[in-house]
Amino acid sequence: MNEQPERVEQFQAEINSMKVKASGAENESRLLILGIVLAVAGLALAIVGGVQVGGAADALDQQSFLATGSFLGIALIIAGAALFVRYSLARYLRFWLVRLVYESRANTDRIVEAIDRAAHGPE
Amino acid sequence: MTPIDTSAAPPLLELSGVRAGYGSIEVLHGVNLAVPAGSVVALLGPNGAGKTTTLGVACGLIEPTAGKVLMAGRDVTGVAPEELVRRGVVTIPEGRGIFPNLTVRENLQMVTYGGARLADVEATAYERFPRLGERRKQLAGTMSGGEQQMLAMARGLASNPALLFLDELSMGLAPLVVEELYGIVAQIARSGVSILVIEQFARTVLGVADYAAIMLNGLVRSVGRPADIEDELSAAYLGGQKP
Repeated sequence: MNEQPERVEQFQAEINSMKVKASGAENESRLLILGIVLAVAGLALAIVGGVQVGGAADALDQQSFLATGSFLGIALIIAGAALFVRYSLARYLRFWLVRLVYESRANTDRIVEAIDRAAHGPE
Repeated sequence: MTPIDTSAAPPLLELSGVRAGYGSIEVLHGVNLAVPAGSVVALLGPNGAGKTTTLGVACGLIEPTAGKVLMAGRDVTGVAPEELVRRGVVTIPEGRGIFPNLTVRENLQMVTYGGARLADVEATAYERFPRLGERRKQLAGTMSGGEQQMLAMARGLASNPALLFLDELSMGLAPLVVEELYGIVAQIARSGVSILVIEQFARTVLGVADYAAIMLNGLVRSVGRPADIEDELSAAYLGGQKP
């Protein structure tokens, strides 16, 4: 085993001076879960708002419940669904890309094999 | 079996419980591996074991879904590969990654975009690989496989690496050329660079490695000194039981 202490020390110093941000994969799954939570909370809020609007006799009360319950709830559902679709679509497309790469590789292997067989003739 | 000794100082590279893959397909199921400062570690295993994916995670190209990548004791999980390259983490990829339609000199010139001077890059490259000096004006794609691999190594070494990753150095090369190249790897290791070598053809690399690890189905199955690990190799490759 060999050591070159200066280079190792320099490397350690450079690595330590680096700014490291949170992992992207973790962020992605966190945002996906946040999307689901927002959508569910929005749905609950919209239902509560709807029930309260139904139970309120006064028009001013109804408007107030509409604003704080139903509209806010719908906004949360839309925001949550957008986050969910954005990140689950990213996952799906990534998987699809890997599938394409795999298929094309398998196809190339088949073609090479066929050329090889044709070149060497039937055994 | 002698485990990798990391008691003296934190290893230059450490993978801890790394899980990673491509989309929904998980390839690494919790890889643990350490490269101590100034040592050569060989990562061996059959085709499809996850060796190149491990390397991808180590050099920052593939982000792990779980686990940590530590360099000199610091968590660098998720750091961009170009950031790591700037600090001395160099990868020589499988298939060499040279520009076949550029000359040897022009290929070396590509390194200077990182800030190095062409004269210095050329001096280092031709000193270590005199054959490249003779062929400096030749198109890289017209050289032999061994010479192309030398060019890839020269380009990697030009940026003064502290940690060097070599992926399938022997791919498509004659055994004599492979032996010559591993001689050069041993020289590089003596100059103090820590090296992680990935190989499918294990015997040659065991001569220069301080430690060897066998990888199977996305997991590091055993780690030890090359002499200890040699017996397990056949079983790992042929799928047999350990005696």
